Amino acid sequence: MARIEIEHLKYQYPATTKLALDDISFSVEPGEFIGIIGKNESGKSTLCQAIAGLVPNFYKGSYGGKVMVGEIEVKTVEVNEMCKTVGIVFQNPFNQVTGSKLTVYEEISFGLENMGIPKVEMIKRIDEAMELLDIIKYKDRNPFDLSGGQMQRMAIASIIAMQPEVIILDEPTSQLDPQGREEVFQAVQKLSKKGITIIMVEHNMEKIAQYSDRVVLLNDTKLVAIDTPQKIFSRDDLDSFGVEAPVFTKICRGLHLKNEETGCYPVTLEEASRLFQRLVKEESHNE
Amino acid sequence: MKSISLYEEKGSVLNKIAPESKILYIVAALVIPYLIGSRWVSLGFIIASILLLLSAKVIRKTVPILGVSGFVLITVLLIQGLFRAGNVTPILSLGPVVFYKEGVNFALGIVINVLNILLSFCVLILTTKPSDMIENFVRKGFSPRFGYVFISIFQIIPQMTETMATITDAQRSRGMETEGNLFIRVKAFIPLISPVVMSSLINTKERALALEVRGFNSTIQKTFLNDEKKIPADKWIQLGMVVAIVAAIVFRIVLVVMYFM
Ligand SMILES: Nc1ncnc2c1ncn2[C@@H]1O[C@H](COP(=O)(O)OP(=O)(O)OP(=O)(O)O)[C@@H](O)[C@H]1O
Ligand SMILES: [Mg+2]
Repeated sequence: MARIEIEHLKYQYPATTKLALDDISFSVEPGEFIGIIGKNESGKSTLCQAIAGLVPNFYKGSYGGKVMVGEIEVKTVEVNEMCKTVGIVFQNPFNQVTGSKLTVYEEISFGLENMGIPKVEMIKRIDEAMELLDIIKYKDRNPFDLSGGQMQRMAIASIIAMQPEVIILDEPTSQLDPQGREEVFQAVQKLSKKGITIIMVEHNMEKIAQYSDRVVLLNDTKLVAIDTPQKIFSRDDLDSFGVEAPVFTKICRGLHLKNEETGCYPVTLEEASRLFQRLVKEESHNE
Repeated sequence: MKSISLYEEKGSVLNKIAPESKILYIVAALVIPYLIGSRWVSLGFIIASILLLLSAKVIRKTVPILGVSGFVLITVLLIQGLFRAGNVTPILSLGPVVFYKEGVNFALGIVINVLNILLSFCVLILTTKPSDMIENFVRKGFSPRFGYVFISIFQIIPQMTETMATITDAQRSRGMETEGNLFIRVKAFIPLISPVVMSSLINTKERALALEVRGFNSTIQKTFLNDEKKIPADKWIQLGMVVAIVAAIVFRIVLVVMYFM
Protein backbone atom coordinates (compact mmCIF):
# COMPACT_ATOMS: atom_id res chain seq x y z
CA MET A 1 0.00 0.00 0.00
CA ALA A 2 1.10 3.50 -0.76
CA ARG A 3 2.46 5.96 1.73
CA ILE A 4 1.92 9.62 0.93
CA GLU A 5 4.81 11.97 1.44
CA ILE A 6 4.59 15.69 0.89
CA GLU A 7 7.79 17.73 1.08
CA HIS A 8 7.90 21.52 0.98
CA LEU A 9 4.98 21.75 -1.41
CA LYS A 10 4.40 25.24 -2.77
CA TYR A 11 1.87 26.09 -5.39
CA GLN A 12 0.41 29.09 -7.15
CA TYR A 13 -2.51 28.98 -9.59
CA PRO A 14 -1.84 30.52 -13.00
CA ALA A 15 -2.74 34.22 -13.31
CA THR A 16 -2.80 34.73 -9.54
CA THR A 17 -0.36 36.71 -7.43
CA LYS A 18 -0.51 34.76 -4.22
CA LEU A 19 0.49 31.25 -3.17
CA ALA A 20 -2.38 28.80 -2.69
CA LEU A 21 -0.14 26.38 -0.77
CA ASP A 22 2.91 27.56 1.08
CA ASP A 23 5.60 25.08 2.13
CA ILE A 24 3.45 22.13 3.17
CA SER A 25 5.18 19.01 4.50
CA PHE A 26 3.66 15.93 6.13
CA SER A 27 3.18 12.24 5.45
CA VAL A 28 0.29 9.80 5.64
CA GLU A 29 0.58 6.10 6.46
CA PRO A 30 -1.29 3.50 4.40
CA GLY A 31 -4.83 2.96 5.69
CA GLU A 32 -4.97 6.15 7.74
CA PHE A 33 -8.08 8.33 7.89
CA ILE A 34 -6.97 11.95 7.59
CA GLY A 35 -9.33 14.87 8.13
CA ILE A 36 -8.46 18.23 6.61
CA ILE A 37 -9.84 21.35 8.29
CA GLY A 38 -9.32 25.08 7.97
CA LYS A 39 -11.35 28.15 7.17
CA ASN A 40 -12.45 29.20 3.68
CA GLU A 41 -9.69 29.69 1.11
CA SER A 42 -7.10 28.15 3.42
CA GLY A 43 -6.00 25.77 0.67
CA LYS A 44 -7.84 22.56 1.54
CA SER A 45 -9.09 21.84 -1.97
CA THR A 46 -5.80 22.79 -3.51
CA LEU A 47 -3.99 20.38 -1.20
CA CYS A 48 -6.42 17.59 -2.14
CA GLN A 49 -5.90 18.24 -5.81
CA ALA A 50 -2.13 18.29 -5.34
CA ILE A 51 -2.28 14.74 -3.99
CA ALA A 52 -4.47 13.64 -6.90
CA GLY A 53 -2.15 15.29 -9.44
CA LEU A 54 -4.71 17.80 -10.76
CA VAL A 55 -2.36 20.35 -9.24
CA PRO A 56 -0.25 21.03 -11.24
CA ASN A 57 -1.08 18.76 -14.18
CA PHE A 58 -4.61 20.00 -14.85
CA TYR A 59 -4.27 23.62 -13.75
CA LYS A 60 -0.58 24.21 -14.65
CA GLY A 61 0.72 27.15 -12.55
CA SER A 62 3.96 27.31 -10.57
CA TYR A 63 4.87 24.40 -8.41
CA GLY A 64 7.66 23.62 -6.00
CA GLY A 65 8.52 20.74 -3.69
CA LYS A 66 7.46 17.17 -4.08
CA VAL A 67 4.45 14.92 -3.54
CA MET A 68 5.07 11.17 -3.53
CA VAL A 69 2.35 8.51 -3.44
CA GLY A 70 4.11 5.18 -2.98
CA GLU A 71 6.80 5.10 -5.63
CA ILE A 72 5.08 7.67 -7.85
CA GLU A 73 6.08 11.31 -7.96
CA VAL A 74 2.68 12.89 -8.59
CA LYS A 75 3.89 15.81 -10.72
CA THR A 76 5.54 13.53 -13.27
CA VAL A 77 2.51 11.36 -13.97
CA GLU A 78 -0.49 12.32 -16.12
CA VAL A 79 -3.84 12.65 -14.39
CA ASN A 80 -5.36 9.78 -16.33
CA GLU A 81 -2.57 7.54 -15.03
CA MET A 82 -2.57 8.95 -11.50
CA CYS A 83 -6.27 8.22 -11.06
CA LYS A 84 -5.50 4.51 -10.84
CA THR A 85 -3.73 5.12 -7.53
CA VAL A 86 -5.49 8.18 -6.10
CA GLY A 87 -9.22 8.70 -6.52
CA ILE A 88 -10.92 12.01 -5.78
CA VAL A 89 -14.57 12.80 -5.08
CA PHE A 90 -15.81 16.39 -5.31
CA GLN A 91 -18.37 18.52 -3.55
CA ASN A 92 -21.18 18.66 -6.06
CA PRO A 93 -22.50 15.18 -6.87
CA PHE A 94 -24.42 16.50 -9.84
CA ASN A 95 -21.29 17.71 -11.64
CA GLN A 96 -19.66 14.34 -11.26
CA VAL A 97 -22.30 12.60 -13.36
CA THR A 98 -20.74 12.12 -16.79
CA GLY A 99 -24.04 12.67 -18.60
CA SER A 100 -23.11 10.09 -21.20
CA LYS A 101 -24.60 7.05 -19.51
CA LEU A 102 -28.25 6.16 -19.09
CA THR A 103 -28.08 4.00 -15.96
CA VAL A 104 -26.23 4.00 -12.65
CA TYR A 105 -24.66 0.70 -13.64
CA GLU A 106 -23.27 2.12 -16.89
CA GLU A 107 -22.20 5.32 -15.15
CA ILE A 108 -19.85 3.39 -12.87
CA SER A 109 -18.30 1.75 -15.94
CA PHE A 110 -17.13 5.10 -17.37
CA GLY A 111 -13.71 5.15 -15.72
CA LEU A 112 -13.18 1.44 -16.27
CA GLU A 113 -13.87 1.74 -19.99
CA ASN A 114 -11.33 4.54 -20.22
CA MET A 115 -8.80 2.43 -18.35
CA GLY A 116 -9.31 -0.39 -20.84
CA ILE A 117 -10.49 -2.91 -18.23
CA PRO A 118 -11.83 -6.09 -19.93
CA LYS A 119 -15.60 -6.50 -19.77
CA VAL A 120 -15.67 -9.50 -17.39
CA GLU A 121 -13.42 -7.75 -14.87
CA MET A 122 -15.45 -4.56 -15.33
CA ILE A 123 -18.70 -6.26 -14.37
CA LYS A 124 -17.09 -7.80 -11.30
CA ARG A 125 -15.75 -4.45 -10.13
CA ILE A 126 -19.02 -2.60 -10.75
CA ASP A 127 -20.96 -5.18 -8.76
CA GLU A 128 -18.50 -4.95 -5.87
CA ALA A 129 -18.54 -1.17 -5.84
CA MET A 130 -22.34 -1.04 -5.91
CA GLU A 131 -22.52 -3.55 -3.09
CA LEU A 132 -20.03 -1.57 -0.99
CA LEU A 133 -21.87 1.73 -1.48
CA ASP A 134 -25.27 0.05 -1.12
CA ILE A 135 -26.68 1.30 -4.41
CA ILE A 136 -27.55 -1.99 -6.10
CA LYS A 137 -31.22 -1.11 -5.89
CA TYR A 138 -30.68 1.90 -8.15
CA LYS A 139 -28.73 -0.09 -10.74
CA ASP A 140 -31.07 0.63 -13.65
CA ARG A 141 -32.06 4.18 -12.72
CA ASN A 142 -31.00 7.21 -14.68
CA PRO A 143 -28.06 8.79 -12.78
CA PHE A 144 -29.79 12.17 -12.78
CA ASP A 145 -32.87 10.69 -11.10
CA LEU A 146 -31.08 9.93 -7.83
CA SER A 147 -31.21 11.97 -4.64
CA GLY A 148 -28.09 13.93 -3.69
CA GLY A 149 -26.90 11.29 -1.23
CA GLN A 150 -27.49 8.48 -3.69
CA MET A 151 -25.77 10.41 -6.45
CA GLN A 152 -22.74 11.10 -4.27
CA ARG A 153 -22.55 7.41 -3.34
CA MET A 154 -22.65 6.60 -7.04
CA ALA A 155 -19.77 9.05 -7.58
CA ILE A 156 -17.80 7.30 -4.83
CA ALA A 157 -18.63 3.89 -6.31
CA SER A 158 -17.39 5.08 -9.70
CA ILE A 159 -14.07 5.96 -8.11
CA ILE A 160 -13.87 2.84 -5.93
CA ALA A 161 -14.38 0.64 -8.99
CA MET A 162 -11.10 1.99 -10.33
CA GLN A 163 -9.49 0.44 -7.22
CA PRO A 164 -7.32 3.34 -6.03
CA GLU A 165 -5.24 2.95 -2.87
CA VAL A 166 -6.10 6.43 -1.68
CA ILE A 167 -9.48 8.16 -1.82
CA ILE A 168 -9.76 11.90 -1.36
CA LEU A 169 -13.14 13.42 -0.57
CA ASP A 170 -13.42 17.20 -0.81
CA GLU A 171 -16.47 18.26 1.23
CA PRO A 172 -18.52 15.38 -0.19
CA THR A 173 -21.51 16.09 2.05
CA SER A 174 -21.71 19.87 2.05
CA GLN A 175 -24.41 19.98 -0.64
CA LEU A 176 -26.49 17.17 0.80
CA ASP A 177 -29.47 17.03 3.16
CA PRO A 178 -28.91 15.46 6.61
CA GLN A 179 -29.99 12.03 5.46
CA GLY A 180 -27.74 12.15 2.41
CA ARG A 181 -24.86 13.21 4.64
CA GLU A 182 -25.34 10.30 6.96
CA GLU A 183 -25.45 7.89 4.00
CA VAL A 184 -22.16 9.22 2.72
CA PHE A 185 -20.45 9.14 6.11
CA GLN A 186 -21.52 5.52 6.59
CA ALA A 187 -20.11 4.67 3.19
CA VAL A 188 -16.80 6.42 3.82
CA GLN A 189 -16.43 4.64 7.13
CA LYS A 190 -16.92 1.32 5.36
CA LEU A 191 -14.16 2.17 2.87
CA SER A 192 -11.83 3.09 5.68
CA LYS A 193 -12.49 -0.26 7.40
CA LYS A 194 -11.42 -1.96 4.17
CA GLY A 195 -7.98 -0.44 4.58
CA ILE A 196 -8.21 2.27 1.93
CA THR A 197 -6.39 5.47 2.85
CA ILE A 198 -8.97 8.24 3.26
CA ILE A 199 -8.33 11.95 3.07
CA MET A 200 -11.44 14.00 3.73
CA VAL A 201 -12.18 17.71 3.86
CA GLU A 202 -15.19 18.30 6.08
CA HIS A 203 -16.74 21.21 7.95
CA ASN A 204 -18.59 19.08 10.48
CA MET A 205 -16.06 18.85 13.32
CA GLU A 206 -18.03 16.19 15.20
CA LYS A 207 -17.60 13.90 12.21
CA ILE A 208 -13.94 14.81 11.78
CA ALA A 209 -13.35 13.99 15.44
CA GLN A 210 -15.28 10.76 15.20
CA TYR A 211 -13.57 9.31 12.13
CA SER A 212 -10.10 10.79 11.73
CA ASP A 213 -6.92 9.13 12.90
CA ARG A 214 -5.17 12.44 12.41
CA VAL A 215 -6.27 15.92 11.42
CA VAL A 216 -4.51 18.37 9.12
CA LEU A 217 -5.12 21.98 10.18
CA LEU A 218 -4.51 24.51 7.44
CA ASN A 219 -4.57 28.25 7.80
CA ASP A 220 -4.03 30.81 5.09
CA THR A 221 -2.23 28.39 2.73
CA LYS A 222 0.10 27.08 5.46
CA LEU A 223 0.13 23.90 7.50
CA VAL A 224 -0.48 24.72 11.17
CA ALA A 225 -0.37 21.19 12.51
CA ILE A 226 -1.07 17.56 11.77
CA ASP A 227 -2.01 15.61 14.86
CA THR A 228 -4.69 13.51 16.58
CA PRO A 229 -8.16 15.12 16.74
CA GLN A 230 -7.70 15.39 20.54
CA LYS A 231 -4.50 17.37 20.21
CA ILE A 232 -5.82 19.59 17.42
CA PHE A 233 -9.14 20.42 19.06
CA SER A 234 -7.53 21.03 22.46
CA ARG A 235 -5.38 23.83 21.05
CA ASP A 236 -5.99 27.12 22.80
CA ASP A 237 -5.44 29.07 19.59
CA LEU A 238 -8.08 27.14 17.62
CA ASP A 239 -10.37 30.18 17.31
CA SER A 240 -7.67 32.17 15.59
CA PHE A 241 -7.78 29.70 12.66
CA GLY A 242 -11.52 30.12 12.22
CA VAL A 243 -12.17 26.56 13.37
CA GLU A 244 -14.66 25.56 16.05
CA ALA A 245 -14.04 22.50 18.20
CA PRO A 246 -16.70 19.73 18.41
CA VAL A 247 -19.43 20.51 20.99
CA PHE A 248 -18.20 17.83 23.40
CA THR A 249 -14.77 19.40 23.40
CA LYS A 250 -16.28 22.82 24.06
CA ILE A 251 -18.31 21.51 26.98
CA CYS A 252 -15.34 19.75 28.53
CA ARG A 253 -13.18 22.80 27.98
CA GLY A 254 -15.83 24.86 29.79
CA LEU A 255 -15.72 22.40 32.68
CA HIS A 256 -11.90 22.14 32.58
CA LEU A 257 -12.20 18.40 32.13
CA LYS A 258 -9.13 16.94 30.47
CA ASN A 259 -8.51 13.29 29.77
CA GLU A 260 -5.52 12.60 31.99
CA GLU A 261 -4.02 9.92 29.73
CA THR A 262 -3.82 12.19 26.70
CA GLY A 263 -3.72 15.55 28.41
CA CYS A 264 -6.41 16.69 25.97
CA TYR A 265 -10.10 17.46 26.03
CA PRO A 266 -12.41 14.68 24.75
CA VAL A 267 -13.60 15.12 21.18
CA THR A 268 -16.44 12.64 20.81
CA LEU A 269 -19.55 11.78 22.81
CA GLU A 270 -18.11 8.36 23.75
CA GLU A 271 -14.89 9.83 24.97
CA ALA A 272 -16.65 12.54 26.96
CA SER A 273 -19.09 10.14 28.56
CA ARG A 274 -16.32 7.73 29.50
CA LEU A 275 -14.57 10.60 31.21
CA PHE A 276 -17.75 11.61 33.02
CA GLN A 277 -18.39 8.06 34.17
CA ARG A 278 -14.90 7.76 35.57
CA LEU A 279 -15.26 11.06 37.39
CA VAL A 280 -18.58 10.03 38.86
CA LYS A 281 -17.04 6.74 40.01
CA GLU A 282 -14.07 8.51 41.61
CA GLU A 283 -16.43 10.98 43.25
CA SER A 284 -18.47 8.17 44.82
CA HIS A 285 -15.25 6.48 45.98
CA ASN A 286 -14.18 9.64 47.70
CA GLU A 287 -17.41 9.94 49.65
CA MET B 1 -35.94 12.76 -15.91
CA LYS B 2 -36.65 14.32 -19.25
CA SER B 3 -34.34 13.45 -22.06
CA ILE B 4 -34.33 14.92 -25.51
CA SER B 5 -33.71 11.47 -26.87
CA LEU B 6 -36.84 10.10 -28.55
CA TYR B 7 -35.60 6.55 -28.34
CA GLU B 8 -37.57 3.93 -26.48
CA GLU B 9 -36.63 0.28 -26.02
CA LYS B 10 -39.39 -1.96 -27.40
CA GLY B 11 -37.43 -5.15 -27.99
CA SER B 12 -38.09 -4.95 -31.73
CA VAL B 13 -35.76 -6.07 -34.51
CA LEU B 14 -35.08 -2.43 -35.32
CA ASN B 15 -33.90 -1.96 -31.72
CA LYS B 16 -31.43 -4.79 -32.18
CA ILE B 17 -29.85 -4.10 -35.54
CA ALA B 18 -26.73 -2.00 -35.96
CA PRO B 19 -27.28 1.78 -36.09
CA GLU B 20 -25.09 1.83 -39.19
CA SER B 21 -27.66 -0.27 -41.04
CA LYS B 22 -30.33 2.30 -40.25
CA ILE B 23 -28.07 5.16 -41.30
CA LEU B 24 -27.47 3.42 -44.62
CA TYR B 25 -31.23 3.06 -44.96
CA ILE B 26 -31.59 6.84 -44.61
CA VAL B 27 -28.91 7.39 -47.23
CA ALA B 28 -30.67 4.97 -49.58
CA ALA B 29 -34.08 6.55 -48.96
CA LEU B 30 -32.76 10.02 -49.79
CA VAL B 31 -30.35 9.25 -52.61
CA ILE B 32 -32.09 6.55 -54.64
CA PRO B 33 -35.29 8.53 -55.47
CA TYR B 34 -33.14 11.49 -56.46
CA LEU B 35 -30.95 9.38 -58.74
CA ILE B 36 -33.85 7.61 -60.36
CA GLY B 37 -35.80 10.83 -60.51
CA SER B 38 -39.19 9.36 -59.70
CA ARG B 39 -41.70 10.34 -57.10
CA TRP B 40 -42.93 6.76 -56.97
CA VAL B 41 -39.64 5.59 -55.56
CA SER B 42 -39.94 8.12 -52.75
CA LEU B 43 -43.45 6.92 -52.15
CA GLY B 44 -42.12 3.37 -51.99
CA PHE B 45 -39.62 4.41 -49.31
CA ILE B 46 -42.35 6.23 -47.39
CA ILE B 47 -44.39 3.04 -47.32
CA ALA B 48 -41.30 1.04 -46.33
CA SER B 49 -40.56 3.47 -43.49
CA ILE B 50 -44.14 3.28 -42.25
CA LEU B 51 -44.01 -0.52 -42.28
CA LEU B 52 -40.68 -0.46 -40.40
CA LEU B 53 -42.03 1.98 -37.83
CA LEU B 54 -45.13 -0.17 -37.40
CA SER B 55 -43.00 -3.28 -36.87
CA ALA B 56 -40.97 -1.39 -34.26
CA LYS B 57 -44.19 -0.28 -32.49
CA VAL B 58 -43.15 3.38 -32.57
CA ILE B 59 -45.47 4.73 -35.26
CA ARG B 60 -47.43 6.71 -32.65
CA LYS B 61 -44.33 8.69 -31.76
CA THR B 62 -44.19 10.05 -35.29
CA VAL B 63 -47.55 11.78 -34.81
CA PRO B 64 -46.24 14.88 -33.00
CA ILE B 65 -43.36 15.15 -35.47
CA LEU B 66 -45.66 14.83 -38.48
CA GLY B 67 -48.17 17.14 -36.81
CA VAL B 68 -45.81 20.08 -36.74
CA SER B 69 -44.51 19.57 -40.26
CA GLY B 70 -48.01 18.65 -41.51
CA PHE B 71 -49.16 22.16 -40.74
CA VAL B 72 -46.34 23.65 -42.81
CA LEU B 73 -46.93 21.18 -45.65
CA ILE B 74 -50.63 22.01 -45.86
CA THR B 75 -49.72 25.68 -46.07
CA VAL B 76 -47.32 24.90 -48.91
CA LEU B 77 -50.04 22.93 -50.69
CA LEU B 78 -52.53 25.79 -50.34
CA ILE B 79 -50.19 28.55 -51.44
CA GLN B 80 -48.72 26.66 -54.39
CA GLY B 81 -52.12 25.30 -55.46
CA LEU B 82 -53.62 28.78 -55.45
CA PHE B 83 -50.86 31.14 -56.47
CA ARG B 84 -47.94 29.33 -58.12
CA ALA B 85 -46.69 31.13 -61.22
CA GLY B 86 -47.56 28.99 -64.23
CA ASN B 87 -50.83 27.75 -62.77
CA VAL B 88 -53.13 27.22 -65.78
CA THR B 89 -55.16 24.03 -65.36
CA PRO B 90 -57.86 24.39 -62.70
CA ILE B 91 -58.73 21.14 -60.90
CA LEU B 92 -60.94 22.33 -58.09
CA SER B 93 -62.87 25.51 -57.54
CA LEU B 94 -64.64 26.53 -54.37
CA GLY B 95 -66.51 29.69 -55.36
CA PRO B 96 -63.89 32.30 -56.20
CA VAL B 97 -61.04 30.10 -54.90
CA VAL B 98 -59.42 28.00 -57.62
CA PHE B 99 -56.82 25.28 -57.21
CA TYR B 100 -54.52 24.61 -60.15
CA LYS B 101 -53.01 21.32 -61.21
CA GLU B 102 -49.44 22.61 -61.73
CA GLY B 103 -49.15 24.18 -58.28
CA VAL B 104 -50.68 21.20 -56.49
CA ASN B 105 -48.40 18.88 -58.43
CA PHE B 106 -45.32 20.89 -57.47
CA ALA B 107 -46.40 21.04 -53.83
CA LEU B 108 -47.05 17.29 -53.76
CA GLY B 109 -43.44 16.74 -54.80
CA ILE B 110 -42.30 18.77 -51.80
CA VAL B 111 -44.70 16.97 -49.46
CA ILE B 112 -43.48 13.55 -50.59
CA ASN B 113 -39.84 14.54 -50.22
CA VAL B 114 -40.31 15.98 -46.77
CA LEU B 115 -42.33 12.98 -45.57
CA ASN B 116 -39.69 10.64 -46.94
CA ILE B 117 -36.91 12.49 -45.13
CA LEU B 118 -38.82 12.72 -41.85
CA LEU B 119 -39.98 9.12 -41.79
CA SER B 120 -36.65 7.60 -42.73
CA PHE B 121 -34.94 9.63 -39.98
CA CYS B 122 -37.66 8.47 -37.59
CA VAL B 123 -36.69 4.88 -38.36
CA LEU B 124 -33.24 5.65 -36.96
CA ILE B 125 -34.05 8.08 -34.19
CA LEU B 126 -37.02 6.37 -32.62
CA THR B 127 -35.36 2.98 -32.42
CA THR B 128 -31.72 3.78 -31.61
CA LYS B 129 -30.14 4.58 -28.28
CA PRO B 130 -27.87 7.57 -29.02
CA SER B 131 -25.03 6.08 -26.98
CA ASP B 132 -25.21 2.81 -28.94
CA MET B 133 -24.80 4.70 -32.17
CA ILE B 134 -21.87 6.79 -30.94
CA GLU B 135 -20.19 3.81 -29.28
CA ASN B 136 -20.29 1.97 -32.57
CA PHE B 137 -18.59 4.94 -34.21
CA VAL B 138 -15.95 5.05 -31.48
CA ARG B 139 -15.28 1.36 -32.02
CA LYS B 140 -14.67 2.16 -35.67
CA GLY B 141 -12.10 4.83 -34.76
CA PHE B 142 -14.21 7.93 -34.12
CA SER B 143 -12.73 10.12 -31.34
CA PRO B 144 -14.08 9.17 -27.89
CA ARG B 145 -13.97 12.84 -26.89
CA PHE B 146 -16.30 13.89 -29.68
CA GLY B 147 -18.36 10.84 -28.94
CA TYR B 148 -18.72 11.98 -25.35
CA VAL B 149 -19.84 15.44 -26.38
CA PHE B 150 -22.50 14.07 -28.70
CA ILE B 151 -23.90 11.65 -26.15
CA SER B 152 -23.81 13.95 -23.16
CA ILE B 153 -25.68 16.69 -25.02
CA PHE B 154 -28.76 14.49 -24.89
CA GLN B 155 -28.68 14.53 -21.11
CA ILE B 156 -27.07 17.81 -20.27
CA ILE B 157 -29.36 20.09 -22.28
CA PRO B 158 -32.49 18.96 -20.40
CA GLN B 159 -30.50 19.44 -17.20
CA MET B 160 -29.63 23.00 -18.16
CA THR B 161 -33.26 23.69 -18.98
CA GLU B 162 -34.08 22.52 -15.50
CA THR B 163 -31.49 24.85 -13.93
CA MET B 164 -33.03 27.65 -15.93
CA ALA B 165 -36.49 26.74 -14.65
CA THR B 166 -35.24 26.63 -11.08
CA ILE B 167 -33.66 30.05 -11.38
CA THR B 168 -36.77 31.46 -13.06
CA ASP B 169 -38.83 30.15 -10.16
CA ALA B 170 -36.44 31.72 -7.70
CA GLN B 171 -36.60 35.08 -9.48
CA ARG B 172 -40.38 34.89 -9.67
CA SER B 173 -40.65 34.13 -5.98
CA ARG B 174 -38.61 37.26 -5.38
CA GLY B 175 -41.26 39.21 -7.21
CA MET B 176 -39.83 39.27 -10.72
CA GLU B 177 -42.42 39.44 -13.51
CA THR B 178 -41.69 36.62 -15.92
CA GLU B 179 -44.97 36.41 -17.76
CA GLY B 180 -46.68 38.87 -20.00
CA ASN B 181 -45.73 40.69 -23.17
CA LEU B 182 -42.44 40.37 -24.98
CA PHE B 183 -40.92 43.41 -23.30
CA ILE B 184 -41.62 42.05 -19.82
CA ARG B 185 -40.22 38.67 -20.76
CA VAL B 186 -37.03 40.12 -22.17
CA LYS B 187 -36.61 42.28 -19.10
CA ALA B 188 -37.08 39.22 -16.89
CA PHE B 189 -34.60 37.25 -18.94
CA ILE B 190 -31.64 39.58 -18.45
CA PRO B 191 -31.04 38.95 -14.73
CA LEU B 192 -31.30 35.23 -15.51
CA ILE B 193 -28.37 35.28 -17.86
CA SER B 194 -25.64 35.88 -15.36
CA PRO B 195 -26.56 33.16 -12.84
CA VAL B 196 -27.19 30.66 -15.60
CA VAL B 197 -23.97 31.45 -17.42
CA MET B 198 -21.96 31.61 -14.20
CA SER B 199 -23.35 28.36 -12.88
CA SER B 200 -22.75 26.60 -16.16
CA LEU B 201 -19.18 27.87 -16.32
CA ILE B 202 -18.44 26.62 -12.82
CA ASN B 203 -20.22 23.37 -13.54
CA THR B 204 -18.26 22.92 -16.72
CA LYS B 205 -14.95 23.27 -14.88
CA GLU B 206 -16.04 20.86 -12.19
CA ARG B 207 -17.32 18.37 -14.73
CA ALA B 208 -14.04 18.58 -16.64
CA LEU B 209 -12.15 17.76 -13.42
CA ALA B 210 -14.47 14.89 -12.61
CA LEU B 211 -14.07 13.44 -16.09
CA GLU B 212 -10.32 13.86 -15.96
CA VAL B 213 -9.97 11.81 -12.77
CA ARG B 214 -11.93 9.04 -14.40
CA GLY B 215 -9.35 8.62 -17.11
CA PHE B 216 -11.21 10.57 -19.78
CA ASN B 217 -8.02 11.60 -21.54
CA SER B 218 -6.46 8.19 -21.33
CA THR B 219 -4.73 7.07 -24.50
CA ILE B 220 -5.15 3.40 -23.65
CA GLN B 221 -7.38 1.41 -26.01
CA LYS B 222 -10.86 1.86 -24.57
CA THR B 223 -13.04 -1.14 -23.66
CA PHE B 224 -16.84 -1.22 -23.62
CA LEU B 225 -19.31 -2.43 -21.02
CA ASN B 226 -22.01 -2.93 -23.62
CA ASP B 227 -21.57 -5.31 -26.50
CA GLU B 228 -21.55 -3.87 -29.97
CA LYS B 229 -25.08 -3.40 -31.23
CA LYS B 230 -25.45 -5.67 -34.27
CA ILE B 231 -27.06 -8.87 -35.52
CA PRO B 232 -25.74 -11.34 -38.10
CA ALA B 233 -28.19 -10.04 -40.70
CA ASP B 234 -26.64 -6.55 -40.50
CA LYS B 235 -23.95 -7.52 -42.98
CA TRP B 236 -26.59 -8.45 -45.54
CA ILE B 237 -28.78 -5.43 -44.83
CA GLN B 238 -25.85 -3.10 -45.31
CA LEU B 239 -24.69 -4.93 -48.40
CA GLY B 240 -28.23 -4.74 -49.80
CA MET B 241 -28.39 -0.98 -49.22
CA VAL B 242 -25.03 -0.38 -50.82
CA VAL B 243 -25.94 -2.54 -53.84
CA ALA B 244 -29.23 -0.64 -54.24
CA ILE B 245 -27.47 2.72 -54.07
CA VAL B 246 -24.80 1.63 -56.54
CA ALA B 247 -27.49 0.26 -58.86
CA ALA B 248 -29.27 3.60 -58.74
CA ILE B 249 -26.02 5.41 -59.56
CA VAL B 250 -25.43 3.07 -62.51
CA PHE B 251 -29.02 3.61 -63.66
CA ARG B 252 -28.48 7.35 -63.55
CA ILE B 253 -25.24 7.18 -65.50
CA VAL B 254 -26.83 4.96 -68.12
CA LEU B 255 -29.72 7.44 -68.35
CA VAL B 256 -27.37 10.36 -68.86
CA VAL B 257 -25.25 8.48 -71.41
CA MET B 258 -28.37 7.44 -73.35
CA TYR B 259 -29.59 11.02 -73.34
CA PHE B 260 -26.41 12.26 -74.96
CA MET B 261 -26.22 9.48 -77.55
N1 LIG C 1 -8.95 27.48 -9.92
C1 LIG C 1 -8.35 28.45 -9.23
N2 LIG C 1 -7.73 29.46 -9.85
C2 LIG C 1 -7.11 30.44 -9.17
N3 LIG C 1 -7.06 30.50 -7.81
C3 LIG C 1 -7.67 29.54 -7.11
C4 LIG C 1 -8.36 28.46 -7.79
N4 LIG C 1 -8.87 27.65 -6.84
C5 LIG C 1 -8.53 28.20 -5.64
N5 LIG C 1 -7.81 29.31 -5.80
C6 LIG C 1 -7.22 30.14 -4.72
O1 LIG C 1 -6.36 29.32 -3.95
C7 LIG C 1 -6.50 29.59 -2.56
C8 LIG C 1 -6.89 28.32 -1.83
O2 LIG C 1 -8.18 27.93 -2.24
P1 LIG C 1 -8.82 26.53 -1.96
O3 LIG C 1 -9.98 26.39 -2.87
O4 LIG C 1 -7.80 25.49 -2.01
O5 LIG C 1 -9.34 26.73 -0.47
P2 LIG C 1 -10.34 25.85 0.38
O6 LIG C 1 -9.73 25.74 1.72
O7 LIG C 1 -10.69 24.61 -0.32
O8 LIG C 1 -11.58 26.81 0.48
P3 LIG C 1 -13.14 26.42 0.66
O9 LIG C 1 -13.35 26.15 2.10
O10 LIG C 1 -13.81 27.68 0.21
O11 LIG C 1 -13.42 25.27 -0.22
C9 LIG C 1 -7.52 30.70 -2.46
O12 LIG C 1 -6.85 31.90 -2.33
C10 LIG C 1 -8.27 30.64 -3.78
O13 LIG C 1 -8.75 31.90 -4.15
MG1 LIG D 1 -12.52 23.80 -1.10
